[in-house]
Amino acid sequence: MAEAHNNESHLDQHPLSADVVRLPAPTPWPLVLALGIALIFTGMVTHGVIALLGLFCVLPAIVGWFREVLPHENHVDVPIVGEAVPVFTHRTTRSHATADTHQRKLLPMETFSIWAGVKGGIAGGIAMIVPAAIFGLLRFHSVWYPVNLLAAGGFVSWAGKSDAFLAQFHLMGLLAATGIHGLASILIGLLYGAMLPMYPRKPILTAGFVAPFLWTGLLYSALGIISPILDQRIDWRWFAVSQIAFGLVAGFVVNLQVRVRTPQFQALPFAVRAGLHTSAEDDEEDHIS
Amino acid sequence: MATATSGLEAIDQTRSAQPPRPSVIYEWLTTVDHKKIGIMYIVYALLFLVIAGAEALLMRIQLAVPNNHFLSPQVFNQLFTMHGTTMVFFVGIPVLFGFGNYLIPLMIGARDMAFPRLNAFSFWLSAFGGILLYLSYFAASGLYGAGSAPDVGWFAYAPLTARVFSPGHSTDYWTLSVLLSGIGTTATAVNIVATAFCMRCKGMILTRMPLLVWLFLVTSCMVFVVVSPLTAAQFMLCIDRYLGGHFFDTQAGGSAILWMHFFWIFGHPEVYILILPTFAFMNEIIPVFSRKAIFGYPAMVAASVGIGFVSLGVWAHHMFTAGMGPAGNTFFVFATMVVSVPTGIKMFNWLATIWGGKVQYRPPMMFAAGFLFQFLLAGLTGIMLSVAPFDWQLSASYFVVAHFHYVLVGGILFSLFAAFYYWYPKVTGRMMNETLAKWHFWLFVIGFHITFDLMHIPGLLGMPRRIYTYEAGRGWEIWNMWIGIGAIIQTIATLIFVYNLVHSYFRGKEAGPDPWDAWTLEWATTSPPPSYNFAVEPTVTSRRPLWDLKHPHDTDSSYE
Repeated sequence: MAEAHNNESHLDQHPLSADVVRLPAPTPWPLVLALGIALIFTGMVTHGVIALLGLFCVLPAIVGWFREVLPHENHVDVPIVGEAVPVFTHRTTRSHATADTHQRKLLPMETFSIWAGVKGGIAGGIAMIVPAAIFGLLRFHSVWYPVNLLAAGGFVSWAGKSDAFLAQFHLMGLLAATGIHGLASILIGLLYGAMLPMYPRKPILTAGFVAPFLWTGLLYSALGIISPILDQRIDWRWFAVSQIAFGLVAGFVVNLQVRVRTPQFQALPFAVRAGLHTSAEDDEEDHIS
Repeated sequence: MATATSGLEAIDQTRSAQPPRPSVIYEWLTTVDHKKIGIMYIVYALLFLVIAGAEALLMRIQLAVPNNHFLSPQVFNQLFTMHGTTMVFFVGIPVLFGFGNYLIPLMIGARDMAFPRLNAFSFWLSAFGGILLYLSYFAASGLYGAGSAPDVGWFAYAPLTARVFSPGHSTDYWTLSVLLSGIGTTATAVNIVATAFCMRCKGMILTRMPLLVWLFLVTSCMVFVVVSPLTAAQFMLCIDRYLGGHFFDTQAGGSAILWMHFFWIFGHPEVYILILPTFAFMNEIIPVFSRKAIFGYPAMVAASVGIGFVSLGVWAHHMFTAGMGPAGNTFFVFATMVVSVPTGIKMFNWLATIWGGKVQYRPPMMFAAGFLFQFLLAGLTGIMLSVAPFDWQLSASYFVVAHFHYVLVGGILFSLFAAFYYWYPKVTGRMMNETLAKWHFWLFVIGFHITFDLMHIPGLLGMPRRIYTYEAGRGWEIWNMWIGIGAIIQTIATLIFVYNLVHSYFRGKEAGPDPWDAWTLEWATTSPPPSYNFAVEPTVTSRRPLWDLKHPHDTDSSYE
């Protein structure tokens, strides 16, 4: 900003013509200063004389650089040469083909807010606990088994622990599992919030079955790497059930939330946005029906 | 007669008619023009690329067959140290900052960087840093008879860097040269941030700023955060080595782990400092050659900031084998995995940009396509290594070497080649030869995949990195032979590229101001641009100002 100020003061004294541009003048002092500093560093691995030489470069370079910018920056006036560059395209301009209105349906007019995804994730995460707890009670007579099993992915020392150990209450296990489960639930809830408006026709199928089965399949192939202990002891049927519970509840809660309008909606004509007219697509559907 | 002047007088008249001009060399040495400084950064980085590439080739020759004595162990140690240090500090950062220097003012409609003299100073500091590093080969034993090139690895772990294990000055050359270049890097980052915030032309609000400039802005902010700990660590190491300090001396109450933390809090974000500008190149190249506006501009900006932020909290995944405990391991496993979310957003947005576009497979787009495919694979092996138990098995093996070379070569270098082909016409006014470019691309793709796909296998078979030779019969021989062959193919491809750079400068087809029919401001001026960039300061009303000028009936500003 100081440079601009000085420019102005120069301009006051010597008005520039329209065909001249004022630029910073070339200067050797940045090079000399950098060389001086480099020589000082080099002196540390070679000989003190080299460092002294560097100091002799640094001092005049600092003075020279100051004089370059004070009291006024040193400029050069560069004449503008040549003519203005024309901006054009070689491409032929063609009228746009009429877009298939059904293609546009892929872009949602309305979507969910981020909070809708967060709420859905929290609700789904709570729902998922129910089948997991039932699994723990039926198989190991303890609700803490699935909790500790999830937490064991983060505790290396738990890798060789017995089922009896995992069936007991451990505060560390509860805290770790809560963190992992909470974070994963919210992230997947956000994914649901973003995904559901893209497939508006069958939300129960999408959220409740397709997404959980895809997610379960993905984890089935990757869990051996992510958490070997969880991979060894997990019951995949119960895991799939808990995923479906998550998907159904998260999808339901997300769908309950108020939708927000996307830029696609803003691009509609005012009459359509104001509700005075339906879109051409709707007209067509009405006509067909 | 009027013409009756002596020869001496005629010379005098000539002098008065044409005032003396500074020589070309003096002009370049004293320049503060961002374009010339950018070109100097790039040329200097290319020179070091050739040097570090030759070092890699020597190492691959050594490892091509078992029980090889082509190189001594000492020379091999020096080679992998110099190769890594050179590629990261004196190739990667300078070449990217070179592009940034050249392009940022042009893309935001400015006449120069915010601090032109500081810009020149930054370049020269970085350049002298590289020269100082390589001076070690000549000066170390020459003057004191002690030590030679550094041989402690590019991360220079303690206590290997202590005086007792590294006598002489070899390690000091490494420390001081990296320190010097770090100061230059930080100064350039200051310049880029100030330029992006203060020098934009009329109408270019932040949400209209080209994505390239956004990415360099994020990168520069990361430089502030991560180069400072490295600089502090270098000072501490100097104090240990010169003044008898004990920061990293475990025998005297210091900590070797402390160095690891200091180094990797720089070292891992450094990978993102290198990769984000290459994302920036993709953000410019993919839309132009897909003939579509970038998909999800706000999401791309948010993802870039997200990557920058999250990547600051993942450094200790390089230290799983150091024994951090379950809490530390868990945190860094998840933090590392979270980086894949914004990176995935970027990948999907690039694919969505290509989707439905009229894709033109010119050389920049060919390298961009290579980047997308290879960076995806590199990211997948990155996720594998982010899992602590997996990392315990393969840490310090050739699997890790293959992973990060997949990122650095398959991602960054491919993107850089794309950038060279894309902006070369702007810088020189000439088009690069497309036939040579295609030879370069296909040979490099083949060489790259032979080398780095196969390099994962000896890693999985247990071959440790940094060994200078190995016994026969371990199943590593055939893979190392193929890796060496791939390296030679890549070398041939790179030589074709260098030849193309030089040949096209003299013989290339005239490019004109806008050979790609592109949309950002640098294409609105001549090729090469004049020293003042634009005769008249531009005014923009959308993210694609040249699109607006070319299509006044259908401007982007109507939709943004």
